[in-house]
Amino acid sequence: MTTTSVPSRRETPTTTASATTAAATPAEGSAPTPAVIQAAGLTKRYGDLVAVDSLSLTIGEGDIVAILGPNGAGKSTTIEMLLGLRTPTHGSIRVFGADPNAKATRARVGAMLQESHAPETLTVAEAVDLVRHYYPYALGVEDILRRADLLEKRDNRVGQLSGGQQQRLNFALAIAGDPDLLFLDEPTAALDVAARHLFWEQVRGLAAQGKTILFSTHNLAEADALADRVVVINHGRVVADGTPAEIKATVAARTVRLVTDLNAAALAALPGVRHVELAAGESREDAHPMLVIQTSTPEALLARLFGAGHRVEELTVSDTDLETAFIHLVGAAADPSDPTESAS
Amino acid sequence: MSTASQTAYLTGEAAADRGDLTSRRLSPEAARMPGALGTLAAQLRAELRSSARVPEYVVGVVAVPIILYTMFGLPNAGEVLPGGTDVGAMMFASMSAYGVVSLAIFTFGVGVAEERGKGWLRRMRATPMPFWAYFVAKVVGSLAFCALILLGTWAVAAFAGKVPFDGLRLAQTVGVLMAGTVAFSTMGFALAYWFRPKAASAIGNLVFLPLSFLSGFFFPLDQLPEVLAKVAPYLPTYHFGQLVWGAIAPAQDVLAFGAHPEGSTWLHIVWVLAGFVGFGMLARAGYQRELSRAAQ
Repeated sequence: MTTTSVPSRRETPTTTASATTAAATPAEGSAPTPAVIQAAGLTKRYGDLVAVDSLSLTIGEGDIVAILGPNGAGKSTTIEMLLGLRTPTHGSIRVFGADPNAKATRARVGAMLQESHAPETLTVAEAVDLVRHYYPYALGVEDILRRADLLEKRDNRVGQLSGGQQQRLNFALAIAGDPDLLFLDEPTAALDVAARHLFWEQVRGLAAQGKTILFSTHNLAEADALADRVVVINHGRVVADGTPAEIKATVAARTVRLVTDLNAAALAALPGVRHVELAAGESREDAHPMLVIQTSTPEALLARLFGAGHRVEELTVSDTDLETAFIHLVGAAADPSDPTESAS
Repeated sequence: MSTASQTAYLTGEAAADRGDLTSRRLSPEAARMPGALGTLAAQLRAELRSSARVPEYVVGVVAVPIILYTMFGLPNAGEVLPGGTDVGAMMFASMSAYGVVSLAIFTFGVGVAEERGKGWLRRMRATPMPFWAYFVAKVVGSLAFCALILLGTWAVAAFAGKVPFDGLRLAQTVGVLMAGTVAFSTMGFALAYWFRPKAASAIGNLVFLPLSFLSGFFFPLDQLPEVLAKVAPYLPTYHFGQLVWGAIAPAQDVLAFGAHPEGSTWLHIVWVLAGFVGFGMLARAGYQRELSRAAQ
């Protein structure tokens, strides 16, 4: 397995948007499918910057989907387009088979957005009650506050809340209308570990009711713990789409640094090795330079090296940060010789 | 909420709701909400509460006209114009007109700009809430605060100044002032949508004082420098003032008060309406610009 083989539940997510769009558009009018979200060839340009690039996505009812990507990958832009708050430069979006801006669609959609604050002079309970009244069906104020873990703060003014409490209020407002589809844009960004735990428990409860949930994160562990499908995007493109297990196998989850007598090419050919490169500052002329290996199975790799009697020195094994993992995913597809440069 | 009614909307009602592809997945705890009027009522409640809790608003917008009347109106109470109108009543009209204009600028201008700046209006757009409910609640809410201004100023005039009011004329005046609140709402909305949220507050402060002076709310227009007095007839707020004075007193007394009424009542009405429509179009354009910008 090499860096270029990306497991995908759909046909080649990164390829030609125009083909996908053309195929998807006439299909919309015909036989209805149970897909909650159908986005085809979504592109968003800001001047020269392409924030989202020919992104196609179909999400079925009851799916819990994580949009995983580093900062600036286009996660928020994608969510805002799916919400109808931003108009795509190209591409089509159907949510519940209709325009995302249609009132009937909005009645079934809840969203937790970044950088949106309720009026500071309202209390938490009042803000929740206000937003409930925007929807045709809604949960009770108590119920919402309990789910968002805000019962104790119910009479506090919105302006007095901490960052984490604000975030919980955002969640409360998102679920107020008992939505069938929930968008959560970086929902746990301001939460501590305990609050995160409670938060995901609530989201799981909603999912158990058959609600569809799409959340963005740059935390692989979070996507892994909650989603049954992970869509990895970088530079506005889908670079991987699959179950968390498939994604973890694709994204080299560990970085192994070592000095060994086995050469880099031979290392790269070993099973489970995603990528091998010289450590920063090392020279190719060096007989045994420090190597940096990306792999999802460091134990197997090391067992093999030790088993074959190779020398292994200065060994460290660490979690690959997601940025690096993405660089290898995207970079390998574009230019296998120099992933770092091609991705930047 | 009974189990029976839930079953009803989970099956029949929910299915009838739509032409969409999947059925609703309502929680057993979910309840039917009262609809558009319920949305409006909730929006209005939130509007009144949040305004009433901002001291700058309650003092700066509601109390100031009453305080100004106490300081400058009361000393003139008891002075009677040739047609029999008390100057205290004329000043009631002037200060209330000032209150209405400042209310419009601060409620619709500065307040809306603030909510816009915080991303709250964007958040609202992601809900099925009809956006008119937001504007209507603002207007109705400001009518309530306008009523407070009028009641307060009237009480000071009637009780502390012993100013006699003609019932019919007072009712007319209150009607004109209330209508003015609605008429100048669009001016505020335009301000909110055409300036950056932080600038809107500064611009609001910059605009409303000169506007009040030029419209003759603080002292009669014939006391203004001639150049400035010549600007007045081009301001919708000046024509609003003429309507307010025309409602509280006969033409003879309006003249004696120094408000030099020029043109007919209809001309004044046309000017105020033109302001309403013109600023309304400007506000609408600003709102559209905001939408397309956000959509970018």
